[in-house]
Amino acid sequence: MVTDSGSASARRTAGRLNAPRPALVEPRFDGSPKLVNRQLVAVVREEWRVVDRWWTDEPVDRRYFDVVLESGQNVCVYRDQEASAWFTQNA
Amino acid sequence: MIACVLIPGFELRAALRAQPRLAMSPAALAPEAGEEQLIGPVTAAADAVGVKPGMRLGEALATCPQLVLVDRDPAAVEREWEGVLRRLEDAGFAVDPDEQGVVYFETRGVERLYGGVQPALDRALAAVGSGWDPRVGAAARRFTALAAASVARPGQIVLVQEQEEQEFLEPLPLSLLPLPADRYAELEGLGLRRLGELAQLPGTAVADRLGVDGRKAWRLAQSGRKLGGRKARVRGRKPAFELAEAMTFPDAVGNELTLRRALASLLERLLARPERAGRPYRKLALSARLVGGGSWRRAVTLRDATTEAARLRAALGPKLQELPAPVLELRLEAVELADASGQQLTLVEPAGTEAGTRLREGLRQVRASTGTGSVCAVVEVAPWSRIPEARALVVPRDD
Repeated sequence: MVTDSGSASARRTAGRLNAPRPALVEPRFDGSPKLVNRQLVAVVREEWRVVDRWWTDEPVDRRYFDVVLESGQNVCVYRDQEASAWFTQNA
Repeated sequence: MIACVLIPGFELRAALRAQPRLAMSPAALAPEAGEEQLIGPVTAAADAVGVKPGMRLGEALATCPQLVLVDRDPAAVEREWEGVLRRLEDAGFAVDPDEQGVVYFETRGVERLYGGVQPALDRALAAVGSGWDPRVGAAARRFTALAAASVARPGQIVLVQEQEEQEFLEPLPLSLLPLPADRYAELEGLGLRRLGELAQLPGTAVADRLGVDGRKAWRLAQSGRKLGGRKARVRGRKPAFELAEAMTFPDAVGNELTLRRALASLLERLLARPERAGRPYRKLALSARLVGGGSWRRAVTLRDATTEAARLRAALGPKLQELPAPVLELRLEAVELADASGQQLTLVEPAGTEAGTRLREGLRQVRASTGTGSVCAVVEVAPWSRIPEARALVVPRDD
């Protein structure tokens, strides 16, 4: 009763879990986020840096912020210093 | 001897049982909804004015403007045919039904009971009932018995002895052979009209020209002696018992929710029937008597035989959406039971085994419906990594 649709879009290769997604962030003068995806940041709960793979062609240099938005939503965002861009990710 | 009882146009005759007056007027079985517009069997009155079975609807109505189209009634056809078979079985014949309107049986077992072949066949005709206009043919082979029944008049018995078989078959038309329509045209194009003409051709040449179908037809056209006595045997069916539940509604019901509730109730009653003897259902048929006359029937064969009400509901429920009209009566019938569940039960089930089996089956069904690569597993590759996306991968699982 279950027919094989043979969907061409079916995933055939391994994918990354928890891959970062681009985020719209407006920073304060000290570099911490003021607005995340057009929502005001109420509290910055935690901040940390990840510097890794500096010996490879793809070095990682990220400044993470665990923030609570005005709506009460908990979001983790980071500033990629290499790409000069903001991303959101479940850390 | 092998006997064949033939009731031409059985579908139409069964549909006309509810409106017998139409049997005397030009009438034909209406084309099936959504199918090619070709009429089914026709009454004698329609045949007399030139309307033939398989004719296009427009042509048939142009030939006979008074032609009445009789709605198909598959549930009545099934019920009446089962009735015919049971009456033959009650008379002692081990029947081997071929299609609706054609049934074979071996007379050897009942010849002594009735005092010969002829009295046994008389009994078979009486068992079927004269209202159906049955014809009987008897011969050493199934095909010859069918051919004999095809040339018999209503209520007549045609006996073909083995030594007369060739002589009997030779003048008969090729249309008796079970061939696709385009093959008849091909044979006619080659100048062949009679079974005898086909039988005289070399078998290898027929096989070269017409393939497997042609070879089979050529073999049927031969008399039994030429084939060294090879005959297709008749195997009597195991007498069936009816396992069905029905619900009649005071008013016609078209609401799907109500019908689904009725189906759930019918399922419960069917599952509680003691005749099942613990065996799970393999094939079920859902039928309905419709408000405007006529009926509707859908059969569902289950991939795994089961007695789980939820799975049976899931398999049968969507069929209710195909109902063409509001329903006066809903009927659920067990067509086939499986011999065993196929799952050996254990006294103490190991923890998680059942859940694991169900999970695997569920994943198998998801894969079957969405294609390979749609089911994935999370594999930890570097759980210690400071980079979140490097800790785990999503990997397709096709096992």
